[in-house]
Amino acid sequence: MKESISKPIKRVDASAKISGEAKYISDLRFENQLFARTVRSTRVKARIVSIRLPEFPAGYFFVNKDDIPGVNRMRTVVSDHPIFAEDEVSYIGQPILLIVGPEREKVFELTTQIKIEYEEEAAVFSLAEAEKRNTVFTQYGYSKGDPEKAFVEAASIIEDEYSTGLQEHVYLEPQGMAAEYKDDTMYIYGSLQCPFYVEGAMKEVLGWEAKRIRVIQAVTGGAFGGKEEFPSLTACQVAVAALKTRHPVMMIYDRDEDIICSTKRHPSIVRFKAGLDQANNVIALDIDVLYDAGAYTGLSPVVLQRGIFSATGVYNFPHLKVRGRNFMTNTVPSGAYRGFGAPQTIFGTEMLMHNIAVKLGIDPQDYKMRHMLKRGDPTCTGGQIRDEVKLPEIIRKVNEMSAYREKVKAGKKYRGVGLSLFLHGCGFTGNGEQMIRGKIVLRKKDDHVTLIVSSVEMGQGAETVLRKIVAHTLDISIERVICENIDTGLIPDSGPTVASRTTMIVGGLLQQAALELKDRWNETGEIEITRIYSHPDYLRWDNETFHGDAYPTYSWGANVAEVEIDPVTYEIDVKKISAVYDVGVPIDEQTLRGQMQGGLAQGIGWATIEVMNTDKGRLIQHNLTDYKVPTAMDIPEIECEFIENPYEFGPFGAKCAGELPFVGAGPAIAAAVSNALSVPIRKLPITPEYLMEIDNHEN
Amino acid sequence: MVDGFRPRTLQEALKIRLQHDCLPIAGGTDLMVQKARGFGLKPGFEQPLLFIGHLEELQGIYVDDGKLRIGTGVLLSDLLKSAQVPKIFRDAVALMASPPSRNLASIGGNLCNASPAGDTLPFLYAVDAELVLKSFTTKRIVPIREFITGPKTTDLKTNELLTEIIISNKTFDVNYYKKVGQRKGMSLTKASFLGLANIEHDNVTDIRIAFGSVAPTIVRSRETEKKIIGESVKQALKILPEISSDYAKLIRPIDDARSSAAYRKRVSLNLLNTFLKSLALNN
Amino acid sequence: MKIEFILNEEAKMIEVNPARRLLDILRDDFGLSSVKEGCGEGECGACVVLMDGKAINSCLVPAGNIYGHHIVTLEAFKKTKRYRVIEDAFAEAGSVQCGFCTPGFVMATESLLNENPHPSDAEIKDGLSGNLCRCTGYNMIVKGVKLAAERGEGLW
Repeated sequence: MKESISKPIKRVDASAKISGEAKYISDLRFENQLFARTVRSTRVKARIVSIRLPEFPAGYFFVNKDDIPGVNRMRTVVSDHPIFAEDEVSYIGQPILLIVGPEREKVFELTTQIKIEYEEEAAVFSLAEAEKRNTVFTQYGYSKGDPEKAFVEAASIIEDEYSTGLQEHVYLEPQGMAAEYKDDTMYIYGSLQCPFYVEGAMKEVLGWEAKRIRVIQAVTGGAFGGKEEFPSLTACQVAVAALKTRHPVMMIYDRDEDIICSTKRHPSIVRFKAGLDQANNVIALDIDVLYDAGAYTGLSPVVLQRGIFSATGVYNFPHLKVRGRNFMTNTVPSGAYRGFGAPQTIFGTEMLMHNIAVKLGIDPQDYKMRHMLKRGDPTCTGGQIRDEVKLPEIIRKVNEMSAYREKVKAGKKYRGVGLSLFLHGCGFTGNGEQMIRGKIVLRKKDDHVTLIVSSVEMGQGAETVLRKIVAHTLDISIERVICENIDTGLIPDSGPTVASRTTMIVGGLLQQAALELKDRWNETGEIEITRIYSHPDYLRWDNETFHGDAYPTYSWGANVAEVEIDPVTYEIDVKKISAVYDVGVPIDEQTLRGQMQGGLAQGIGWATIEVMNTDKGRLIQHNLTDYKVPTAMDIPEIECEFIENPYEFGPFGAKCAGELPFVGAGPAIAAAVSNALSVPIRKLPITPEYLMEIDNHEN
Repeated sequence: MVDGFRPRTLQEALKIRLQHDCLPIAGGTDLMVQKARGFGLKPGFEQPLLFIGHLEELQGIYVDDGKLRIGTGVLLSDLLKSAQVPKIFRDAVALMASPPSRNLASIGGNLCNASPAGDTLPFLYAVDAELVLKSFTTKRIVPIREFITGPKTTDLKTNELLTEIIISNKTFDVNYYKKVGQRKGMSLTKASFLGLANIEHDNVTDIRIAFGSVAPTIVRSRETEKKIIGESVKQALKILPEISSDYAKLIRPIDDARSSAAYRKRVSLNLLNTFLKSLALNN
Repeated sequence: MKIEFILNEEAKMIEVNPARRLLDILRDDFGLSSVKEGCGEGECGACVVLMDGKAINSCLVPAGNIYGHHIVTLEAFKKTKRYRVIEDAFAEAGSVQCGFCTPGFVMATESLLNENPHPSDAEIKDGLSGNLCRCTGYNMIVKGVKLAAERGEGLW
């Protein structure tokens, strides 16, 4: 195959999905299945005094903490979330028990008849309050150079604070999970990203060995991190229910239930103190990162890590002091969401640089370019930028596409353009990849090749991309390359489908295996080749001091947003987004472009219309009527280009891509709004209400 | 217990309404959401449903005796296709909900739901629409401002159905409508403004102003409008601050999941400003 | 209540509680799983099917309102020439990622092109404004509809 691998092909799952034949978890039916509904806390923080259950007709059951054979905790980075509440609840929506039975209507009726008596306790409602009360879950820090000295010697100091709000994934397919106990094995079927996370969680909750657990991914209707760790909770719940009732149990969330109780993007406050030298360059930066982890810590420590390791964005600041803290509030726990902590800190850093530039009367682009990382520079954690940084070329291109230089000076009130520069560390943070030691298997039988991996297709195109890598390496048609079903009984653990690692890490292993297979192609009989990830030894990382290479490499990007503000209503009209990315080499340009546009759209939503607030622990926007995500009318033309920069250790030169596009949208739009109204923007979402408050001009 | 009635005629429907405790339902786009209970579940209606959306007598858009008459069962999507419906009203309807919902929703439903954010309401208030209410034995015609008595409350009696909307055929030189939503695509209204005016030889001969979503019901003040009627456009602009101040007292928005009181108030007055200033341009 | 209607070109008679949602009747009673529940409040469009040729949210339709109407889901629509054009266009333009919203978009596209065979980009966006997609960012869906309209000359 002489064609470039980047040339787009038809997605392998297109027909099944367009024709409506693809079956998602809620489309499956198990014989004698029971439906499950969750009974949840209606209080923010309380002791459970009593639970009074109604009469249960034959065939109806309740399932609670007493039915758990093993450990009543959801296994993740910090396993603090109970599968079913014990004596207390810590957020509205916390699961207490399941009602399970053959008729949905009756199950619903029973849930309304349950009487729970609570004794309410003092709660923490907001990040501001959490800071005052110091309800810290996790604290991290690192430094570089000699920040204390640098601040003393600085010619000037600038301080500022930025904040971002909650965001909900709104995958179109709500959370869904089913369990079936048969042949002494627990089968789990569900909408999920990480089959082995679920297996690991179930081992602890059931107290069983892995060979008695089979996790099978159903066609998954969107995830974006929202089905990374959360499904471990629902899987364990339905598994325990299936074990108790000896029936298959199916649980599908209502949309508003999903919004109220599933994990969210961490709200943030990021505070900066910048020390500038005589030439007005930022030479010292003190960054204080505060994330709202919600009521349980879960995987928030890793989100915080990525947040603080990304806090310097694309810049090289010689002196740094970075602190990060996750706080407990009695709200729905936050978790994984595309970008995973980096969007919040990068928003802050981009706005800081933008606002300093504006204050100094310098174009933000020029000012930012003075500080950009180059090959050979140290990273913020004392690692190294080993690969060429194509930012200058990326910026040139995005300027061409957007006419930034002309438009930024146009000075038309209510119209503006803004630039964001950003990166994303590829793969797991620090020694994450080393710890997973992801494994893949490639099998040749007759003239077909099967990929046996645990990477899931969730819409991002993983199946198409991974099959393409193997097909191209072997120089055979993609029809001869198939993917083994995602079934933990059949596949090795290649690691979870997260952290933008699938193409680069898993695809990289597949390419290596395919190269070996190519050499051995003419061997007779079945061939099976295994590859296990090994961390390049030039990468050093100390997880105690947070020193070294936090990531093996980075993908980079620039966005220019053009906005128009309605002077009467302050509504923001995003007129265009121009985007340029370096993700190494595209494995399929159309699939990749789809990811970029999708990530940008979610970023536009986060920056402008996705308002989610809490009032004394209660989510104010808890359905799609009130929590607004973009429709087709809200997303403008997105022009997107790629700069090739092959990465030596990525398949065909590919790096990471899935999360990168989300990161750039918010700061670009904020910069554009700032340009349009000549006011600094310090928080997301930028609502008309917020703009009306800060705009100085009277009509 | 009967779970629903599907009458063949309006009279049959009215008889059922008289004899049974039941809930009239046309398209269902409001009621089905209000009573929704969750995945795979039927909505939690507490009364049997009286289906009226299919009734012939509630259909039709026609002019009679100088007035435009719209059946309450007319779908929003059909309203959009009728050239007889004033364009400014169609513009407002085009911004409601979404295409699939507009193919189900009836204008009568929007009226009877009587939400302070009901998007058919500003226009109907502005043109002093009259509503026909029928029971099995009675018929009455009620001005819209007397029909809607508060947020989500109407004067509909338990034996009545809303059957027709009557609007005068008067046209206006200046037609201005703005809906401020939560986003560009389908959304509920944070604040809306409708302004209609007639100008003859530089004099404002008629003006109608209505604000939506900023009070328990639509805000309209004939008293304030009369301050402008008969004045020259120039004079109208001179007294703009007084007009604005009058409405500022009547607009009583709230903070809720979608917006803030402060924003709603300021935007409403901004829109009023914009409308009044545009009279000079239309001259 | 006994309700007669036409489903995917076949006459049906069901006896159901008239408050039940058309969505559940289609999915649970007739096994038509192309119709999805994404929100149950008429906001996401995943449940969109055709009623008398026009897109409607099946989660908002009580059974009592389907009497005498023609309901068409993707299971029947996918056998048509128009569908073939839409499928090819969507696949080519990259209009599908996770696919959950896609059946709703296909039916909304059919409804749109039925009414307006040559929509502009703005008209496409407006016509599809009742369907949410969280994966694609919509640009490629709009392209797919545009392509279908061009290629399907004479079909709509």
